[in-house]
Amino acid sequence: MAYQVLARKWRPRNFAQLVGQEHVIKALANAFANERLHHAYLLTGTRGVGKTTIARIMAKALNCETGVTAEPCGVCSACTQIDAGRFVDLLEIDAASNTGIDNIREVLDNAQYSPTAGRFKVYIIDEVHMLSKSAFNAMLKTLEEPPGHVKFILATTDPQKVPVTVLSRCLQFSLRNMTPQQVIFHLGRVLDTEQITYEAGALNLLGHAAHGSMRDALSLLDQAIAYGAGKVEEAGVRAMLGAVDQSYLFELLDALVAQNGGQLIAAANAIAGRGLSYEAALQELAHLLHQIAMVQMVPGALADDLPIRDDILRIAQAISPEDAQLYYQIAIHGRNDLALAPDEYAGFTMTLMRMLAFAPVPAGQLPLAQSGTAATAAPASRAPVAQQSPAAVTENSAETPSDAPASTPGLIPVRAAGSNSQNSETYPAEASAEKGPESNTGEGMPWQDESAAAAPPPARPTEFDGDWRGLLAQLRLGAAGMLAQHAELLRHEGDCYYLRVAEEHQAVATRDFQEKLREAISDYFGREQQLKVEIQQQTGQTPAQLAQRERAARQDQAIEAIQQDPFVQTVVRDFGGTVIADSIRPL
Amino acid sequence: MNALYPWQKKDWQALLRERERLPHALLLTGPAGIGKLRFAERLANLLLCETPGSAEPCGECEGCRWFAAGNHPDYRLLTPAEAEEDEDGKTKRKQPVIPVDAVRELEDFVNLTSHRRGVRVTVVAPAETMNVAAANAFLKTLEEPPAGAVFILVAHHWRRLLPTIRSRCRQFPLSLPDHHAAESWLAAEGVVNPQLHLAHMGGAPLAALEDASAPWLAQRNELLQHLANPAALDVIGIAQTLEKTRLDVALVVDWLQKWGHDIVSLGLSGNIRYYPDWRDDLQRLSVRAVPLLEWQKTLLSARKAAHHPLNPRLVYESLLFAYLDALRTRAVKPQ
Ligand SMILES: [Zn+2]
Ligand SMILES: [Zn+2]
Repeated sequence: MAYQVLARKWRPRNFAQLVGQEHVIKALANAFANERLHHAYLLTGTRGVGKTTIARIMAKALNCETGVTAEPCGVCSACTQIDAGRFVDLLEIDAASNTGIDNIREVLDNAQYSPTAGRFKVYIIDEVHMLSKSAFNAMLKTLEEPPGHVKFILATTDPQKVPVTVLSRCLQFSLRNMTPQQVIFHLGRVLDTEQITYEAGALNLLGHAAHGSMRDALSLLDQAIAYGAGKVEEAGVRAMLGAVDQSYLFELLDALVAQNGGQLIAAANAIAGRGLSYEAALQELAHLLHQIAMVQMVPGALADDLPIRDDILRIAQAISPEDAQLYYQIAIHGRNDLALAPDEYAGFTMTLMRMLAFAPVPAGQLPLAQSGTAATAAPASRAPVAQQSPAAVTENSAETPSDAPASTPGLIPVRAAGSNSQNSETYPAEASAEKGPESNTGEGMPWQDESAAAAPPPARPTEFDGDWRGLLAQLRLGAAGMLAQHAELLRHEGDCYYLRVAEEHQAVATRDFQEKLREAISDYFGREQQLKVEIQQQTGQTPAQLAQRERAARQDQAIEAIQQDPFVQTVVRDFGGTVIADSIRPL
Repeated sequence: MNALYPWQKKDWQALLRERERLPHALLLTGPAGIGKLRFAERLANLLLCETPGSAEPCGECEGCRWFAAGNHPDYRLLTPAEAEEDEDGKTKRKQPVIPVDAVRELEDFVNLTSHRRGVRVTVVAPAETMNVAAANAFLKTLEEPPAGAVFILVAHHWRRLLPTIRSRCRQFPLSLPDHHAAESWLAAEGVVNPQLHLAHMGGAPLAALEDASAPWLAQRNELLQHLANPAALDVIGIAQTLEKTRLDVALVVDWLQKWGHDIVSLGLSGNIRYYPDWRDDLQRLSVRAVPLLEWQKTLLSARKAAHHPLNPRLVYESLLFAYLDALRTRAVKPQ
């Protein structure tokens, strides 16, 4: 277990060892060489690009006993103590967990005192956007009148969440994601130094799998070395990454083209049988569909030497551009939903079933409506195995992207669909899916509010319009919501609300809840409002009672509708209405 | 006590093939119910075994005896706190979580010198139950652990881990056992119909063992009977009953998802995965496979929200109404 992972062993200890951030390094090194120092730096960039690594090198550059330098010596006591993580004047705070320092605010308040051992007191604050308000204030106090001996090095993955007051006082550097080429080159150097043999194709796979993060790349390389028993070979790395052999993907696509569900599942099982990753499979499938869509739009888009070129062209001819679009989007969403399925296999096959079931809307008929409107064309369904009944055509099988990029030829719309952050958690058309009165279940569940959440909030009224339930729905009430739900509005005069609560719910009519409710209403209308609550034997029109009645009506309606349904009638007729299943039946 | 399950031998050998290259942080992944924790404990035991050169824990040295007794001073198992009970003895509806305090305590353990041979092993299971603060605190521990500290993380849903934690671990997926091995193991455990219970749990043997004697079997069966018979589906009544059971909403959503999955899969591809014992009913309903795809989406969202403090009765009502909606015929609306 003495083995030290490569990511730690190869952690850069000076600017020269850093890979891929030349623009930042050059600026920083210049500044340090000329002692042009700023009192606060902000390093931004995605995870694993080297923010904290650079911050620590900066701390050494500032405190090295050879003087402020772009080339910290690495051997003096300041340098070695910083490397070992026990330099008294370097305070590392992780704002995401508040670890290291229990009371950040106090620590920041202490910034005014001189450093104990070093030249500067250096504060490295990681994920700074997650600092508490009081901690930010303490930091601002120092930033506004910085003592000469204090340096802040802030790092964040999310600079937009850092208060402007802080941003404006920092010298900002944005770190770039590593390119696959940079990663591949660096991995090669590491392996040469470690005297481990490797195949170039293996590094190529790893370079792409690292998604721009050198730390991830080194971690993957570690895994690859262990997996390959000390060698890094392409076949082993492919297997380790669960990278899917493209031929499996074409089997899936062929089954889709043939609209053959059994064949589709067989192809999925082949992937499962090889122990490949479903996530990787969906990602690769999406990538492939993107290439197919490209070729459909720009026939010369593929490199001539691409080994799978012929297969791509074959599928591109067999499916319409709308199909390619749709499949792409379903693949992307299916990948996001994998963790929510009963298991990954089910998540994967459900995604394939979705592709199978939805035919595209003919070009030109795509709904151009904005999301939120209910205009969804009716994609014809194809149900290959089960008996196909006309009834299986539904109006809300809305898998069509509501932003309908396919109808604007000339663009390359496929990417945009997947990166649509607003809808990344839902299906593109979910927000615009038909929500007639029948499918409105009354009480809003979080997943039914997505269209509402996307819409801009309506302007706030200044006067109460008499709709008590409507008003309550707008308020954030917390526990006081229990009072609101059981309070019937008797009348409303001026800014005063007369409420009645039944005796049985007296317990929720506390002074506390009344005050909370009053505050919430006052906040909503922007001026003080009054509540008068009386307790009476019973009520008839509280929001809770109304909702209860609506649910009962909804139930009746549902039962009636389902019993009149021809399909269900068949069920009732053929199976005697109720089917009593034995507790567990043998196979 | 911590012998491997029969289907884990291959994984064990593969992992130990490069024993000198075992990293200080290992992430064991795979679906719930395949024995990942057992595997992790076995590995912890091996690392703490004091007989040199053994490929299995010797079971005789002092390290092994400490471990078997459950009080090895250089071993920590980090699991979510048990669900708390309030005064009435009712279980609070709370997602099990590994809190940040537990991770802070761990830091002390990791940084102390070890009691015996310099190795200190921590197993975290399931690692995705660390809350945000805990995960970030843990990240720092993972980043620069002192020599000899080893972490074995177990995750059913590794995607829910912080990406930074993921990237600091070597991931080692444990394989799903083949049906034959799983079946004979279940049979040896006294399960009467192993094949069926395996199906219910998507092939995970430990989960299938639980399935065979779960206290909620009757409730699931009742629910499936109702689902099989939509013409008489009393949404409000069923939702009320389900709420009274105080079952985890996520569990009930899981049953519904599997039901929906089977209808869709049977209708579109001829395959049943989870409920082969309901084939006739599924077959009847499978003509509605396509509209039920919509329901599947609703269920996915419900699963995502399953740990929000929503009123379970309303959640059930909403999902069952959506089921009926999906089953009901709708004509194509003219544009
Ligand atoms: Zn130095
Ligand atoms: Zn031993």
